[in-house]
Amino acid sequence: MNWTFEKIAGPYQGSCGGLAWDGQAMLFSTISEGCLMRFRPESEKAEVFRRYTNRVNGIAFGPNGELYGCQEGGRRVIEFLRDGSAVVHAHLLDGKVHNYPGDLVVDRSGRVWFTDPYHPVPSTGVQIFPLLDHASVLRLECDHTRSAVRGTWSIKRVTFDTVAPRAVLLSPDEKILYVAEGDVGEESVRELRAYPVRDDGSVGVHTVLHVFGSDYRGTHRGIEGMCLDSDGNIVAVGGWQRSGPGPLVHVFSPTGAVLESHELPGDMPVRCAFGDQDLDALYVTTAKGLVYRARAIGRKGFRSAH
Amino acid sequence: MHIDLVAPGLEAVIGKNPPLDRIAYGLLFGEGPVWDRRTEQLFYVDILSNTIWKWKRGVGKEIVLHPSGYADGMTFDIEGRLVVAGWSARTVWRLEHDGSIRTLVSHYQGQKLNTPNDIVVKSDGSIYWTDMAGGLMIAGMVAPDLQQYRDALGVFRLSPNGEQVDFVVDTNCVAPNGLAFTPDEKILYLNDSRLGTIRAFDVQPDGSLTGERLFHKLSGDEEGVADGMKVDSVGNVYCTGPGGIHVIDSGGNLLGRMRIPGHCTNMGWGDSDWRSLYITTCDSVWRTRVNIPGVATW
Repeated sequence: MNWTFEKIAGPYQGSCGGLAWDGQAMLFSTISEGCLMRFRPESEKAEVFRRYTNRVNGIAFGPNGELYGCQEGGRRVIEFLRDGSAVVHAHLLDGKVHNYPGDLVVDRSGRVWFTDPYHPVPSTGVQIFPLLDHASVLRLECDHTRSAVRGTWSIKRVTFDTVAPRAVLLSPDEKILYVAEGDVGEESVRELRAYPVRDDGSVGVHTVLHVFGSDYRGTHRGIEGMCLDSDGNIVAVGGWQRSGPGPLVHVFSPTGAVLESHELPGDMPVRCAFGDQDLDALYVTTAKGLVYRARAIGRKGFRSAH
Repeated sequence: MHIDLVAPGLEAVIGKNPPLDRIAYGLLFGEGPVWDRRTEQLFYVDILSNTIWKWKRGVGKEIVLHPSGYADGMTFDIEGRLVVAGWSARTVWRLEHDGSIRTLVSHYQGQKLNTPNDIVVKSDGSIYWTDMAGGLMIAGMVAPDLQQYRDALGVFRLSPNGEQVDFVVDTNCVAPNGLAFTPDEKILYLNDSRLGTIRAFDVQPDGSLTGERLFHKLSGDEEGVADGMKVDSVGNVYCTGPGGIHVIDSGGNLLGRMRIPGHCTNMGWGDSDWRSLYITTCDSVWRTRVNIPGVATW
């Protein structure tokens, strides 16, 4: 089946980032412009949903409709509240300001799993806090047993073997954590990993589902964004025009079989998410400030219990 | 202290070889130095450790308030109460004589302020402060609500009776930061961290500001930006900038630079003769002595 992508929004200045379907419209972040936009399929228009996000990249809804964002400019995960305000629940890992949250996924119990890589664009203002000596998947979570009113929020380290985690995803049963690992460059690998999630929330030794290579033009870019389809397959966007087969969307089975691949228009895809009323359209953002959509692709998005 | 001499007038202002003593260190983001003449203590903040400190010669330092809401610029009002640009607290507040905290301003036209950065009190009791948005955005600074609502950044004025808030500068501001009056209070200087400018405004009897003009454009590519700014008793302007503190005469001409180690954030006049300059950097508080006394804080 041929996937036909149409541009539905943009160009915006700089990169677009995360995507999240709110039930009626697709939210997406314009990282450099500092906004969350809201695209309504009925009107085919994208309108400003939030301003002054301070470089929020990845966005995701939690089980009760809470909206989280990875704020690169402030080096923290924030929550956008319905009244228009925004709050930070926790911003320190073992007392230290962490790196630059990029992509995130919220599980059924409301825990926010997020990538925390280094980033070429410095955070806002004077650079006071050094970066962590590791770039890992972290998890923001609330312990409701310790305080009946608000709970106690903290951040925990999840991976101990990543150097540049770029995208995260949980399997439908939340027993597998998928991580797109590796930065573009000769030093690191770029691969799709599957970590078993233990009952205590820690992860075991990962398997590698897919490895990206290099050619005479340079390393292949690897995966930048992922989402689940209704069968629990991994839909992943990545690649670039500079090297390799170019910008692609792959569909991987949970065991890593490549079920299908399609060329993407433009360059530098960033994230993908299913949207529209039946979750039957795939939206893709790019670092070139564009948002694309493909309809009638024969797949639907995973509809989580929440 | 290392000096960059630009014009011969510098020596008459700051002396031939000003000392540089470090009186506190280990801070994350020092700011807000202000001298309390009653107790001969220096009040200052460490924004990022969320603390207001005071320091006394021969005694040492002591915590005044923690958490402080990431408080930033501070000064005393005409009744000797500490007034604070609340930064991430998004308020301007006052430490009352009984030790309680009173919020003076939190909203303007129904919207929350952004983040009050630095503050100055005029002799009639009115309070002027800069409002920018950095306290909502900078890593490690956690506002209770970090959504920016107001587009315009600039300077606010609270009337002497505390009832009327006016937005007195709303143009050409990207990161409005330090502000200071001339000794006669006829001119208000306002700098901008991003633009590297110091602008001058004529202060009208009703407290409004007119006659906007460029007073000085900072130069240099070393570490540091336009941040804190103070004026001495004959009208020279001291402004943080690349490399340390830029000393500028009342005509807007750069006389020279006092080179301060680290990233210089603000300064305040102090000691009984007001000839000491207490300087905050990100990690330290320094003190130097100059020839011409500063404008007394209170």
